[in-house]
Amino acid sequence: MASDISQNQQDAELLMRFSKGDCAAAKALTSRLAPVVFAQAFRMLGDRTEAEDVTQESLLRLWKIAPDWDANRAKITTWLYRVTSNLCIDRLRKSNRNSGDEVPELADDTPGVDCKLQITARAQALQHALQTLPGRQRQAMILRHIEDLSNPEISDIMEVSVEAVESLVSRGKRALAITLAPQKKALGLEND
Amino acid sequence: MTDKDFNYPPLDESEFGLLFDAAKKGAPELDAEFLTRLQSQALEAMPQELMVGFTLKKLSLFGQISDVFAQFGGWPAGAGLAMAGAFGVLIGISPPDVVLDATTAYFQTESLNDLVGLGDETEFYWEDV
Repeated sequence: MASDISQNQQDAELLMRFSKGDCAAAKALTSRLAPVVFAQAFRMLGDRTEAEDVTQESLLRLWKIAPDWDANRAKITTWLYRVTSNLCIDRLRKSNRNSGDEVPELADDTPGVDCKLQITARAQALQHALQTLPGRQRQAMILRHIEDLSNPEISDIMEVSVEAVESLVSRGKRALAITLAPQKKALGLEND
Repeated sequence: MTDKDFNYPPLDESEFGLLFDAAKKGAPELDAEFLTRLQSQALEAMPQELMVGFTLKKLSLFGQISDVFAQFGGWPAGAGLAMAGAFGVLIGISPPDVVLDATTAYFQTESLNDLVGLGDETEFYWEDV
């Protein structure tokens, strides 16, 4: 938690320097925040190009409000998570794709895969399964279980109550548990 | 309708934990070229202060020109040159007698009209169009 606060202070400091025309701060802040935004966008959208577009748009919005940024108001990462989430949800709504049941089946006959391959397979399976969830459930699941944010933080990002977040996470988890159940063996979960 | 198969037992907490750990380890990586592009965009989006830097650079160029101008005498020299030019224009429009005498003596003519080929007999005819 302490390192979280310190990181937020560093981000705020860099953003302040950015707004004063510090080129080094601009580069450092981009290097720190872009991977976080991109990862979230990619998990939400499941498409690299679209995730890059969202990353670009989110950061441009941050640069735009930088001179007026109030460090006491919110954490930069929380603000970015919210902007990124909203941009992703907008895209999902426009493209009308959030309820596909087409989870690619992993081959059952994959014995002896090494640890790295298994991690990749599990990550891919989860990614595909996440794409089958409705946008808000997916968003809540990613923020809660992959980004490791607290429910109050997620409620702040998604602008809903903590109870609503708990409900979204609970329903999302239930849906994932059923969707991924047939792949347990292929993912090496049964023997763990 | 959905293809979900409810015959399998759903995932439990520990199995979920393994999947989420894998997702964290296998986070999608940012392309280096894309990161460079984002950094360039950040620099382009840099607010007013940097623009002030650009203005100062232009002013310093103007300052350099002023320095060169000063080496040739500065504003007093410039004013003198302007006055000399104005005086030359005045002589051209209404030359004093001294200038006329010197000119006719040099070109061995009686008047400036002879010099340009216009004698006393020369008449002008204007055609109505």
